[in-house]
Amino acid sequence: MLETVPVEYYLVLSAAVFCIGLFGILTRTNALTFLMSVELMLNAANINLVAFAFYWSNLTGQVFVLFTMSLAAAEVAIGIGIILVLNRNFDDVDVTEAATLKW
Amino acid sequence: MEGIFQYAPAIAVLPFVSFLVALIAGEYLPKKGALAGILATGGSLTLSLVVLVAVVSGHTYNETLYTFVDASETFSLTFGLLIDPLSAAMLVIVSLIATLVHVFSLGYMNDEGEIGLPRYYAGLGLFTASMLAFVFSDNLLMAFIFFELVGLCSYLLIGFWFREDAPPSAAKKAFLVTRFGDYFFLIGVVAVLVTFGTAQFAGSEGFPALAEEALVAGETFHGLGAETWLSIIGLLVLGGVLGKSAQFPFHTWLPDAMEGPTPVSALIHAATMVAAGVYLVARMYGFYALLPTVLAIIAFIGGFTALFAATMGVVKDEIKQVLAYSTISQYGYIMLALGAGGYVAAFFHLTTHAVFKALLFLGAGSVIIAMHHNENMWDMGGLKDPMRVTYLTFLAGSLALAGIFPFSGFWSKDEVLFETLVHALGGSPLLLGAYVMGLGAVFLTGFYTIRMVMLTFHGEPRSDTAENPHGVRWNVKFPLSVLGVLAVVAGFLNPVPIQKLTGAQVDFLHAFLDSAPEATLTNAGHYSDLTAEYAGYGTGYIGGEVMTLLLGAGIALGLALVGAGSAFFLYRGAEPTAHTEKLGRVRTLLMHNYYQDEYQVWLAEGLTVRVARAADTFDQGVIDGLVNGASSVSLFAGDRLRRIQTGVVTNYAAFIALSLVILVALFAVLGGWI
Amino acid sequence: MYIEALILLSLIGAGVVFLAPNRYAGKLAFWLSLPPLLVSLYMYAIFDGSGNALLDGDIAFETFGEWLTLGQYAINYHVGVDGISLPLIVLTTVLVTLSILSAWTPIDDRQSQFYGLVLFLEASLIGVFAALDFILWFVFWEAVLIPMYFLIGIWGGPRRKYAAIKFFVYTNLASLVMFIGYLGLVFGLGDAVTSTGLPEVAQALRAGQLGALGPVGPEALAFVAFLAMFVGFAVKVPVVPVHTWLPDAHVEAPTPASVLLAGVLLKMGTYALLRFNFTMLPEQAIALAVPIATIAVISIIYGALLALAQSDLKRIVAYSSVSSMGYVILGLVAYTVYGVGGATFQMVAHGLISGLLFMTVGVIYNETHTRMVGDMSGLADKMPVTSGVFVAGAFAYMGLPLMAGFAAELFIFLGAFESTVLPGAVVFTAVAMFGIVVVAGYLLWAMQRSLFGPFRLETDYELSPAPLHDVVPLVTLVLLIVLLGTAPDVFFEMIRDATHPVLDFGGDL
Repeated sequence: MLETVPVEYYLVLSAAVFCIGLFGILTRTNALTFLMSVELMLNAANINLVAFAFYWSNLTGQVFVLFTMSLAAAEVAIGIGIILVLNRNFDDVDVTEAATLKW
Repeated sequence: MEGIFQYAPAIAVLPFVSFLVALIAGEYLPKKGALAGILATGGSLTLSLVVLVAVVSGHTYNETLYTFVDASETFSLTFGLLIDPLSAAMLVIVSLIATLVHVFSLGYMNDEGEIGLPRYYAGLGLFTASMLAFVFSDNLLMAFIFFELVGLCSYLLIGFWFREDAPPSAAKKAFLVTRFGDYFFLIGVVAVLVTFGTAQFAGSEGFPALAEEALVAGETFHGLGAETWLSIIGLLVLGGVLGKSAQFPFHTWLPDAMEGPTPVSALIHAATMVAAGVYLVARMYGFYALLPTVLAIIAFIGGFTALFAATMGVVKDEIKQVLAYSTISQYGYIMLALGAGGYVAAFFHLTTHAVFKALLFLGAGSVIIAMHHNENMWDMGGLKDPMRVTYLTFLAGSLALAGIFPFSGFWSKDEVLFETLVHALGGSPLLLGAYVMGLGAVFLTGFYTIRMVMLTFHGEPRSDTAENPHGVRWNVKFPLSVLGVLAVVAGFLNPVPIQKLTGAQVDFLHAFLDSAPEATLTNAGHYSDLTAEYAGYGTGYIGGEVMTLLLGAGIALGLALVGAGSAFFLYRGAEPTAHTEKLGRVRTLLMHNYYQDEYQVWLAEGLTVRVARAADTFDQGVIDGLVNGASSVSLFAGDRLRRIQTGVVTNYAAFIALSLVILVALFAVLGGWI
Repeated sequence: MYIEALILLSLIGAGVVFLAPNRYAGKLAFWLSLPPLLVSLYMYAIFDGSGNALLDGDIAFETFGEWLTLGQYAINYHVGVDGISLPLIVLTTVLVTLSILSAWTPIDDRQSQFYGLVLFLEASLIGVFAALDFILWFVFWEAVLIPMYFLIGIWGGPRRKYAAIKFFVYTNLASLVMFIGYLGLVFGLGDAVTSTGLPEVAQALRAGQLGALGPVGPEALAFVAFLAMFVGFAVKVPVVPVHTWLPDAHVEAPTPASVLLAGVLLKMGTYALLRFNFTMLPEQAIALAVPIATIAVISIIYGALLALAQSDLKRIVAYSSVSSMGYVILGLVAYTVYGVGGATFQMVAHGLISGLLFMTVGVIYNETHTRMVGDMSGLADKMPVTSGVFVAGAFAYMGLPLMAGFAAELFIFLGAFESTVLPGAVVFTAVAMFGIVVVAGYLLWAMQRSLFGPFRLETDYELSPAPLHDVVPLVTLVLLIVLLGTAPDVFFEMIRDATHPVLDFGGDL
C-alpha cells in the first residue's frame, strides 16, 4: 500500500490558495493583480478537483481540471484584452477608476 | 279603398326622400331643396287625405311591416302601421302644416337670401318624415324611435343659425330637456315591452288591452300590485310627453327654441314636436284610461301649465315669446282634457290649435320679415294697414287663440272645459281645481293675445322699419290665407254646443273618432267606457246638461272677452303705455319665468358640472393616484436598491465573497453540520 | 382555412409593408388590408355555424391541429368562429382598413413601421377572437400589446412614454392575474380535461366537474378563479376603478391607434369576460351579480360624469368609452337573451361609433392642431362635412334611434330590465339608463363650444376642408352605424344564436 498524503492536506492547501486569491481581489486595485488573483482561485479549485479525483479514483475530476485550465487560458486572453482597453481609456489599470458601468 | 293603405308608408317616405335630395343635391337645385320638400309634403298631404277618406268610409289598418329584431326566444321588436281615425286625422294635420311651412319658407328663407338652405330643407324633410312616421306607429317602441328623431330634427333646426351664440345653446337646451323626459319614456318603453311582451297600441293583443286584463286579474309585478306598476309605467311614459309637449316643469326649452327660424317654430309648435307629446297620450289612451291616479296627475299638470304659462305670456315683449308661452299654455289645455277624460275634446283642441298656432307663427314670421328680423313688439305698431293680409289672418288666429265665439278656438276650448267640469261634477271633485286653473288661463289668454295684436298692428309705428315695412310675396300670403280660413271654420268640425242645443248630429269629430272598429279598441266610445269603469269618471250637471253647457260656455267666453277687452282698452291709442311695467316685482318674476330657467341651469351647470369636476379631481387624484403610487413605490424601491451597484469591481467581489460565507454558514446551521 | 388565411394575409401584409419604403407604405398598407377585409366579409356571407363555440355548438371555419403536450394537458392549435366572434372579426378588419386610411394625413414619420405594426395588430386581434385553445389564445392576447405599445410609444403625443408603459404594465399585470385564474381552473378540473382548450374546459366546468386544488375546495376555487379572471379582464374593458390607463393611452395615442384601441382592443376585455367568466362560471357570476352590476352602473354614470368634466375632445371620447363599456357589463350580468346578446351587439356598435368619433376628432386635430374645446369655436363654418359627421357620431353615441348605439342600448336595457338572476334589476337598469342623459349633456356641450358659434381658432393654422381620404372612412362608418341601427339582425341574429346557449344553465330562464 503506497503511503499517500491524506486528502485533507490538499484541501487545506487549496483553501489557503483560494483565500490568498480572494484577499488579492478584495484588497488590490490593480487589474493585473486581479487577474492573477482570479487565476489563484481557479487553481485552488483545480487542486480540489484533482485531489478528490485521486481520492475517489474517479477520472472525471481530472477531466474537469483540463477544461478549467483551458477556460482559464481563454479568460486570461480576454482579461488581458479588457485590461488593455481599460488602460487605453483611463490611462491606468486601476479598477476603481472605471466605475461608470452602473445604473 | 283599402288598397290605398299599401301606399300609406309613402306618407312618411316621401318627406324622407326630400330630406335625402336636399342633403345630397340641394346645393345644385334651383330653390335649394325647397321644391322637393313642397312636392314631397304635398304628396304626403294628398295621400293622407285619401287615407282619411278611406278611414271615414270605415276601414282601418293595423299591420306589422318590418321586423326590427326577430327574437323567437323571447319577444320580437317590430315596426308597423296603425291607421285609425286618430292617426289618419293627425296625418292630415301634420302634412298640411308641413306643406304650408315649406311654402312659407320660400318667402322667409329663400327670399331673405339665407345660406345653408339645403341643410334647412333637409332638416324640415326629416322633421316631417319623423313626425308622420311617429303618428302612424303601431307600437310604443316605434313611436319612441321616431319621437327621438323628431327631437334630433328640432335640435338641427333650432340651431340652424349656428354661427351665432344663442341658437346652438337653445338647441342644446331643447334636446337636453326633452332628453331628460325621454329618459323616463325609454324606461317606460322597456317596462312595457318586458311586462307585456308587446308594445302594440291597438287590438286585443295590444298592451292597453293586456294591461286591462292584468288589472282585472289582479296580477302583481315586481312585488307591486297591477295598478301601482301600471301607474308607474304610465308616469314614466308621461315623462317623455311632458318633455316634448313642454309641460311644467319641462317647459323651459320651448321659449328658448324661438331662436330657430320662424317657420320651424310654426312646425314645432303646431304640428310636430310639441304635438307629439300629447298625441302619444291620445294614442295610448286605452292604457291611461285605466289609471285614475295618472289621469289626475295629467289633468293637474295640464291645468297648472295652462295657467302658469299664460301668466308669463302677459309680460313678454317679443312677439314670438308671447306665442311660445301661449303654446305651452294651450298644450296645457290639451293635457287637461286628456286627464279629465275628454279624449275627443283633447284631439279637437289639438286640431284647432295646430291650425291657429301655425297661422300665428307664420303671421309673426311675416311681421318679422317686414320688420327686418326685429321681434320686439314695442318697435312695431301700425302694421295693420301696410300688411292687410297678415293683419286679418293674424287677427283670426288671435281670436281663435283667445277663444272668442265663433272662431275655432272657442269651440275646442269650450269642450275641454266642459268635459272637465262635467267629470268634476260627476264624482271626481279633484278635477275642479284643474278646471279653475283652466278658467284663469282663459282670461289671461284673452289678455295677452289681444295685447300682442294691439302692440303689433295697431297704434302708430314706433320705429323706422315699422313705418316702411318690407313687403311679403305670395309665398307668405298663401299659407296665411289657407290657415286663416281654417282658423275660422275648423271649430265647426265638432260644435258640441250646437249639437246639444239643437240635437243636430254635427259633432263630426266625435263620430269620426268613435268610428274605429271595435277590434282595434281605439275608438272614443271604448275610452269613455274605460274612464267610467276604472277611473270612475261619471257625469254630473248643474241643473241639467244644457244648463251646464251654457253656463260653462258663458263663463269661459265671458272671461275671454273680459281679458281681451281689458287688453284692448289698455293698449289702444296711438302710443300705448307699457302697463306691465307697473307690475313691478311681479313683472320681474314673470320676465324671469319664475326663475325656472335659473334652477334648471343650476342643476345642469351648477350641480352636475361641479359634481363632474369633483369626480375628475377624485379620479385623477385618488384612483389614478393609487395607480401612479403603486408604480412610484416600485420606482422608489428600485432607485434605492440600485445604489448597491457601485461600479467598483472590488465591491462586487466583496459581495460575492460575503454572500458565499453567509450561504455556507446557513448551510452549516440548517444542515446540521455544527 | 379562412381564419388562417385572414391571419396570414395580415401577417404577410405586415411584413411587406415593414420592408416597403416610407413613401408608399400608407397606400400599400391600405391595399394589403383589403384582402383580409374581403375574406372576413366572405366568411360572414357563407357563415354556417350555429350555437356557441364553447358550448358544443357548430363551430364555423374550424381548424384543429396538435401543437404541444404539457404533462397530461395537450395544447392544440384550435381556431374557429361562432356568432359571437365573427362580428368582432368583421369589426376588426373593417376598422383596420379605415384606420389605415385615416392615418395617411397625421402619420408623417417612419410610415412603413407604423403600418406594419397596424397590420400585425390586426393579425393578433383576429387570433384573439378566433382562438379556441387557451394557450394559443393567450399568445395572441399578449401579442396585441406589442404593436399597441409601439404605436403609442413612438407616434404618440408628448407624454407617450408614460402612457405606453402605463398601458403595457397595467394590462400585462392583469393578464397575469387572469392567467393564474384560468390555470387554477384547469388544474382543478384534474383528469376531467385533457387539454387547455376552451370548449373542453367550459363544458367540463358547466358539467360541474371542478374538483379541489390542494387545500382549496371546488366552490372556493371557482370563486377565486372567477374573481381573478374578472379582475384581469376588467382592466382591459376597462371598468371603474381600473380604468385610468385608458384616457392616458387614448390622449397620447395617434388617431388611428386610438380608433383601434377603443374600437377593438376594449372589446377583447368584454369578449373574454363573456367567453370565460360568464360562459364558464355562470353560478359564480350570478352569485356576484349585484356587485358586478353595481360596478357596471358606477362605470356608466361615473365615466359619463368624468367625460363631462373634460375639455380635451379625445379625453371626452375616452371617458365615454368607460361609460359605454359599463353597459356591456350590465347586459352580460343580466343573463337574458337581450342582455347578453345586446352586450355583444354593443361591442360591435360601440366599436364603430367610438372609432368614428376618434377619427373625427383626429381629422379636426389634423387641421386645427388642437383638441382643446376652449381653443376653437364655430368650426362647422369652415369644416362642414367633418362637423356634420361629428354631429352624426355624437348622436349615435347618445343612442339616437335607428343608429347602432340605440339598438345596442335598447337591447341591453330590455335584457337587464327583465333579468331574473339580478336582484333589483329594474332599479339597476333605471339608474344605468340615466347615462343616456349625461352622455347627451357632455357631447352636446362639447359640440356647442367647438363646432358652433362664431368662428375662432387659437392656433396659427389655416383651416381647409378635410381631404377625401379623411372623409371616406368617416362617411363609411356613419353608413355602417345606420345600417346596424336600422337592421340590427345583420349581426344580432347570429349573436342571439351564439349567446343563447350561455343562458341555458339548469332550468330557470
